[in-house]
Amino acid sequence: MSKLTEIRWHGRGGQGAVTSAEVMGLSAIEEGKFAQAFPSFGPERRGAPVLAFNRISDSEHIRMRSAVTQPDIVVVLDPGLLGIIDVTRGLKEGGVLIINSSKSLLDIKSEFEGPWTLAVVDATAIAMEVLKIPIVNTAMLGAMVKVTGVVKLESLAEPLGERFGKLAEKNIAACRRAYDEVSIAAQGAVSQRPEKTFGEVTWPSWQELLPGGVVTDAGNARSYRTGDWRSDRPIWDHDRCIKCGVCMLFCPEGCVEQNEQGYFEANYYYCKGCGICARECWTQAITMVEEAKA
Amino acid sequence: METLALYVPRLLEKKENFAPGHRACSGCGEALAVRMVMKALGKNVIVVMATGCMEIISTQLPYTSWEVPWIHTLFENTAAVASGVVAGREALTRKGKASSRTKVVAMAGDGATADIGVQALSGALERGHDFTYICFDNEAYMNTGIQRSSATPFGAATTTQPVGKISMGQNTWKKDMPAIAVAHNIPYVATASPSYPFDLMNKVKKARDIEGPAYLHILSVCPTGWRTPSDLSVRIGRLAVETGVFPLYEVENGKYTLNIDPPQLRSVEDYLKLQGRFKHLTPEMIKEIQEKVEAKYAELVEKVLFYDGF
Repeated sequence: MSKLTEIRWHGRGGQGAVTSAEVMGLSAIEEGKFAQAFPSFGPERRGAPVLAFNRISDSEHIRMRSAVTQPDIVVVLDPGLLGIIDVTRGLKEGGVLIINSSKSLLDIKSEFEGPWTLAVVDATAIAMEVLKIPIVNTAMLGAMVKVTGVVKLESLAEPLGERFGKLAEKNIAACRRAYDEVSIAAQGAVSQRPEKTFGEVTWPSWQELLPGGVVTDAGNARSYRTGDWRSDRPIWDHDRCIKCGVCMLFCPEGCVEQNEQGYFEANYYYCKGCGICARECWTQAITMVEEAKA
Repeated sequence: METLALYVPRLLEKKENFAPGHRACSGCGEALAVRMVMKALGKNVIVVMATGCMEIISTQLPYTSWEVPWIHTLFENTAAVASGVVAGREALTRKGKASSRTKVVAMAGDGATADIGVQALSGALERGHDFTYICFDNEAYMNTGIQRSSATPFGAATTTQPVGKISMGQNTWKKDMPAIAVAHNIPYVATASPSYPFDLMNKVKKARDIEGPAYLHILSVCPTGWRTPSDLSVRIGRLAVETGVFPLYEVENGKYTLNIDPPQLRSVEDYLKLQGRFKHLTPEMIKEIQEKVEAKYAELVEKVLFYDGF
């Protein structure tokens, strides 16, 4: 029986989780292994949470085609997802959890320690320094290879070169830095899974749906949060605001509202942080502030 | 720039008939356009919508962003379904069970309008049903991953017309859908852009209040497919008008009016250089586009002047 390793990547649309999985799969094939790489996402768009999966087998064809529900390895590309999705769901005992975060291993440990190996790397900082853009997929690949040894670091070079062309060198550099900088906690210190509850949606069963998929509750999308897609948030400077309302006019979400004093504010439950309001504001009263610093 | 008449809140309908919580990309120009259209239409409408980005981002079971009756259709039969809804409304009105003032509005993307649904649309316009058809034109099949449509402009890179040794992006010119609508001799045809919100909302109201078919063509900037930063959506829409790439005009019973007529057109380069889909263009291609845009614009101005003579 050959060893089958299952990997789940958590990212956001446009962050490169799917590319990570592809490069990982190609690297394994490079080493003569068998591999699958495939994404899973709904019709959500840029910024929405997405999943990508890998299956890697040492010596046998992989017949399974379903989504990975009990991964050996979980990689989290976006620290913002930690609060909204249960990233450890189904993670096997003795598995590996790798998180991109600017927090120290100690801080992360208190929240995500469990019967698995925990590793933390500040991939965003590495990406900003090396690539000058906050796309962390290649850095996370480096960290993941270091912690798990699923493939060798050298095997990543060719698929990365093929995928990124001119930008390959920088991406390989980011990969190497993360490989060197990832901090790993000793495994198995805690056998308890962290208890977390998330405001998960309960879906109606098919018996409860009306024929034809009719929805009778008009505008019920209002209960759906899109605010967690945001990486920057608009902040209004009331000294510069002339209360003209252009921000309200041009918001694609329709989430800018006027408060009692006549100033405008975004409803962060919906705001996706596109930045149109800040760009269109005549008096430049709106600035986009990085979500982590707001 | 359009006179925004400071203090938007006094002029703008507050009610959102297109509810937030929809799943469009951040900075989506089409979601912005739909939101403005719904503000202008009010609640007494039935929306018939073709498959496309707007449909799947706004109606993911069990959620809906629509505050009005809304029905899903396929790419090819939006206008046909709208015709049927109009006929149903008329039958119910005769029986005293519905109001003839309830407007039927068909909405579709450029693929569903200019490619797949054009025969149904042509039929419905020709038969003269009392409905408004709105095309949200983001210049490719963005929903399925940026494939070219016949509304994709010359030179734009798409996933089916990529840039390489053989292809330099789209090799044909954008299909002139409003002109096709005008050729049906319908009472009202207009182009609009969410970057000129009050112009857009006035046109929607006009189309709604006209008896008979009306056609609106709205340019919707797509940050994902046009490869632009999400905060530039409104600015790029404005540049499309200022450069003459997408002039805003209306045709009422054959009479042309230019709504935004800049004293001097900006160079198309200002519009093209902001978009990743055009970044491969050579100076010759830009020159070609400039000439074509100027010629089309001159043609339009000529039509406007011709009708001014009467």
